Amino acid sequence: MRISDYIEQSFSNLRKKKLRTFLTTSGVMIGIGALVSMLSFGRGVQKNITDRFKELDLFNYITVFPRSEQSQAKQSSANNEAEEDETQQVRVLDDDFIQEVTKIKGVESAFPEVRFPALVRFKGKQKFTLIQVLSADIGRSGLVKFRAGRPYAPDDANSLIISDILLRRMKVKDPQTAIGEKIEVSTLMLDSDLLSPANITSVIQGDKLPFSQEGYTFTIVGVAERMGFGGAMPLRSDVYIAPAASKKMKKVSLTSIQDFFQSSQQAKGYSAVNIKVSSVRYIEPVKARIEDLGLKTFAVIDELEEIKTVFIFMDMFLFALGMIAITVASLAIINTMVMSILERYKEIGIMKAVGASDRDVKKIFFFESGVIGFLGGVFGLALGWVVSMLINQVANYFLAKQAVPYIDYFSFPWWLCLGAVIFPILISLVAGIYPASRAARVDPVVALRHD
Amino acid sequence: MNSTSFIETEDLTKGYSSGQIEVVALKDVNLSVREGKFLGVTGPSGSGKSTLMNLLGGLDTPTSGRIKVQGKFISELNKEELALYRRYQVGMIFQSFNIISSYSALENVAFPLLFAGVGKKERKQRASQMLTKVGLCPRKDHRPPELSAGEQQRVAIARALINQPKILLADEPTGNLDSTTSRQIVQMLSDLNKNQGLTVIMISHEESLVRRFAHEIIHLCDGKIVEQEKIR
Ligand SMILES: Nc1ncnc2c1ncn2[C@@H]1O[C@H](COP(=O)(O)OP(=O)(O)O)[C@@H](O)[C@H]1O
Ligand SMILES: [Mg+2]
Repeated sequence: MRISDYIEQSFSNLRKKKLRTFLTTSGVMIGIGALVSMLSFGRGVQKNITDRFKELDLFNYITVFPRSEQSQAKQSSANNEAEEDETQQVRVLDDDFIQEVTKIKGVESAFPEVRFPALVRFKGKQKFTLIQVLSADIGRSGLVKFRAGRPYAPDDANSLIISDILLRRMKVKDPQTAIGEKIEVSTLMLDSDLLSPANITSVIQGDKLPFSQEGYTFTIVGVAERMGFGGAMPLRSDVYIAPAASKKMKKVSLTSIQDFFQSSQQAKGYSAVNIKVSSVRYIEPVKARIEDLGLKTFAVIDELEEIKTVFIFMDMFLFALGMIAITVASLAIINTMVMSILERYKEIGIMKAVGASDRDVKKIFFFESGVIGFLGGVFGLALGWVVSMLINQVANYFLAKQAVPYIDYFSFPWWLCLGAVIFPILISLVAGIYPASRAARVDPVVALRHD
Repeated sequence: MNSTSFIETEDLTKGYSSGQIEVVALKDVNLSVREGKFLGVTGPSGSGKSTLMNLLGGLDTPTSGRIKVQGKFISELNKEELALYRRYQVGMIFQSFNIISSYSALENVAFPLLFAGVGKKERKQRASQMLTKVGLCPRKDHRPPELSAGEQQRVAIARALINQPKILLADEPTGNLDSTTSRQIVQMLSDLNKNQGLTVIMISHEESLVRRFAHEIIHLCDGKIVEQEKIR
């Protein structure tokens, strides 16, 4: 018997029992539909995150931090020899370090992350924020997404870029209106008078901060889109200024409150250095080189691995749900096929009498089972797609009200579509094993005896 | 064994065991049929006629004894080879026609060609030709319920002959037919036997009908051949 004949036979036999075929196929369809929409949701969310990271080139960044004191302490206690302790110097994140790092194979550029607290005043509103020093190159690299305006020039000491979020917090709705406007920035400086033993108690009690202020005026040249993902990334501030601007300002430099208290030990150097590598494959070797220097590193790609494990768990959960549906569906297939065999008992006898082998009979029922799976898969994929589209539209409709841009929460990669059709075929073939071999065992003499 | 025999059995025995009771349906049957003969088989109900037919047709296997067809021991074939034997060497027709009621006459006749791996177009063409031979061409798209009993049996004959077998086995083909139609059907089998050299073995309890067409008759009783006569 030819393959095309098996397929044609299957379809024509299934057509004869329309209702039963429809009901059985529906079981598979619903199972696959659920599985498809759930998996495509998982994929969609994951794709959104990774695409956005990729778009921002974030996978190519390593952030380097000075080694924390705890880890130094650990290492010195592990090393009993005092000499070694002395030779192992703490590497300072200074310009020399940047020079050195730039020479490592695969490193494209390295730039210090200088951040300091400041008070910005704009159109009568006042906000406390961190200002980040960002070279003009980075500003122009595409890493910064502009909602309005443009990046500043390398030697521009009087311009800044502000984030849309901060603007909104200062009640400016349209980013365009802020371009060219003046903005006041007040830096904070450690006031050594206030840190004297006489005043320290009031500082600790929070009555008075050990800071004095210094004001500067800037022009807003650009409004940048604030990245929605937290963590140590090259850009994580609401205000960016050029290094030239930074030089003229008096300030304390810190990225966290710990930095502030550690500042006596690590007075020299930057609080962090960002390194851009030319390709993701350099991340690990470059990280290893830097960690050998006794420094801490962070790469977004590591965080992605963590995100991925979360998604693997989510996928597994969804998969388990879908599998329950599929198991129920395959029991329905077994039931349908066994019923079909009982009904077509005599027909099986006829097949054998006119020359069908056991294998022919087995294959006929096997194909029939497979066709149920195929139909269930195709319609299930369609169902899953329709449901996903509906949910996507509804979700975006409500999220649009909260100014969230349109996102496809569902993704249909080719393997999902292919799998949605192939998987139920395999499942129903497995479900068809018992009925098919039972059909093959039918004794034609018994089946054809006229009673 | 006789070398001129076309179909030959040697101490053919078939027993059925249903539970603890052992039924011997056929006991030490020695039969010899030469090519191109028309053999009639008669006997009371339960005498083992159908059992003999199913063994000769390769639908069943003997408990002991051998069957030789065209020089080959078909009782020694495996299941796969037996299927090929049924497909190409023998055609079978039955009292209850055993045609598929949801298929048209044409589809029924073409059905064996499916297992022979014949292409769709050729299947239709050959089935159509075969239906013309049994005089049913105008009714080829009708389903069995729309056909008379005689027409249904003719569909069954066309189906049995579609793979051009040398042997036709008929198990009470006239059992569900009136006397006129019965005569027409047996006449058709006789014509096939005469004109195409088809070896026919036909079971019937209507002795007069068998006597009119068969070359030889055997009488079965309790699974044994009790009488064997040559008519012409
Ligand atoms: N599958 C079977 N299981 C048990 N007994 C059977 C089976 N087939 C036939 N028999 C028995 O074998 C005997 C011969 O049956 P059969 O060949 O059908 O007789 P006939 O066709 O001459 O009426 C009967 O007694 C019948 O009951
Ligand atoms: Mg009988």
